[in-house]
Amino acid sequence: MNKIIVILIMCQSLFTKAQDNLLSMLGSEDKPIYISSTFKGKKVVNGQSVEVLSKGVLQFQIQHRFGTLNSGFYNLFGLDNSQIRLGFDYGIKDWMSVGIGRSSELKTIDASAKIRLKRQSKGSKEFPFTIATNSAIFIKQYRWSETNEEAFEMSNQLSFSHQLLIARKINRDLSVQLSPTLVHYNLVNYAEKNDRISLGFGARQKLTNRISVNAEYFMQINGKINNDVLSFGFDIETGGHVFQLHLSNSPAMIESSFIHETKGDWEQGDIYFGFNISRVFTIKENK
Amino acid sequence: MRQIISIFLFLICFYANAQQYLAKDGTITFFSKAPVEDISAINNKVSAVYNANTNELVFSLKITDFIFPKSLMQTHFNENYLESDIYPKSTFVGKVTENKNGKAKVKGELTIHGVTNEIITEGKLQIINDNVIISSEFVVKLKDYKIKIPRIVMYNIAEEIEVKVNIEFKKQ
Repeated sequence: MNKIIVILIMCQSLFTKAQDNLLSMLGSEDKPIYISSTFKGKKVVNGQSVEVLSKGVLQFQIQHRFGTLNSGFYNLFGLDNSQIRLGFDYGIKDWMSVGIGRSSELKTIDASAKIRLKRQSKGSKEFPFTIATNSAIFIKQYRWSETNEEAFEMSNQLSFSHQLLIARKINRDLSVQLSPTLVHYNLVNYAEKNDRISLGFGARQKLTNRISVNAEYFMQINGKINNDVLSFGFDIETGGHVFQLHLSNSPAMIESSFIHETKGDWEQGDIYFGFNISRVFTIKENK
Repeated sequence: MRQIISIFLFLICFYANAQQYLAKDGTITFFSKAPVEDISAINNKVSAVYNANTNELVFSLKITDFIFPKSLMQTHFNENYLESDIYPKSTFVGKVTENKNGKAKVKGELTIHGVTNEIITEGKLQIINDNVIISSEFVVKLKDYKIKIPRIVMYNIAEEIEVKVNIEFKKQ
């Protein structure tokens, strides 16, 4: 009889165990969890973030930068002067996007490519950073009188930037980024360097799920002639649109200009207000 | 006699354990009709267990496995609505309370976004050879699961979401 009871209990325990484990049976899968949305946009403020557009997504950006806030009521605190950049970006792969744009300042046309090399992950495979590269070419269209000079060549108008972007999402609200940058100018003034290196720092802090504050600073390491750029941004996300409001000591929107050609000084009140509106269109839908 | 009983009990026990059906690639889709844009998504990686002896039914899915036609919607779904970094999974733990000619009633607890609610729904449950096929449709109210829709969002997301379940189990 004892045996029967023992077996009965055994069976019973086995049986109930199977019931309790019904849900836990399902949770055994162990895959790396990739961290997404380190930043809201493709840019921290002016500089590139590690974010890449998803495959088949087209982003259209309208960027505005006004004059300095200290230019007085006569200029309506800068609102009378404005620069614009129009840009298109497209995601070729989930890890690669390309873009073109045109800034009204010096009629500069830019083209860029961003590739995400590694994603931050946790779980079965841990990696602490998201790493991406961004390369861009800038064509400043000089005026006819300048281009007519004897020594002028087409290549004189070109400059390039190469960036390594290393970011970490520390928690769901706070992300930080380090961006070592090399900018090459084909044509520079006497005693200026063609190759200039800088180190960018970026951060974003979410205030709510849809609103975040961003900050960005580029420290020039060699060939410094102008001021370092410091910018603050405010991102508001509303479905398919992102509105970004910016304050910066540079009115430029392209790397070759805002990193090394910033004349403005925060302490003097040379602060430029600006905004971006970006809209995404899904060209190819996911299957 | 003892031995017979013990063998018999052992067999029952064995039999009971053998009546479990498992699925790893079940499908759950949802659909919401909205004035600006319809919202739909599909998850093909739903795992589930059905125990034919106890009529227990559980399923579990990862929120990040939902695929949307539009990537940005998927990002917003995970980041802003379902907060999949905090609540990575949705689960159902329940029982088939009635089963007549393949028409079944299911009662249980559905957990989404960290909130658990009791649901009762009807569906189909068919046993074909070694496979069990279940399918069901029900409506989930976002309010019940504390999924907030802010005023500034332009999608005009509907308050109610239609959910479709389709899972084919294999005998374990």
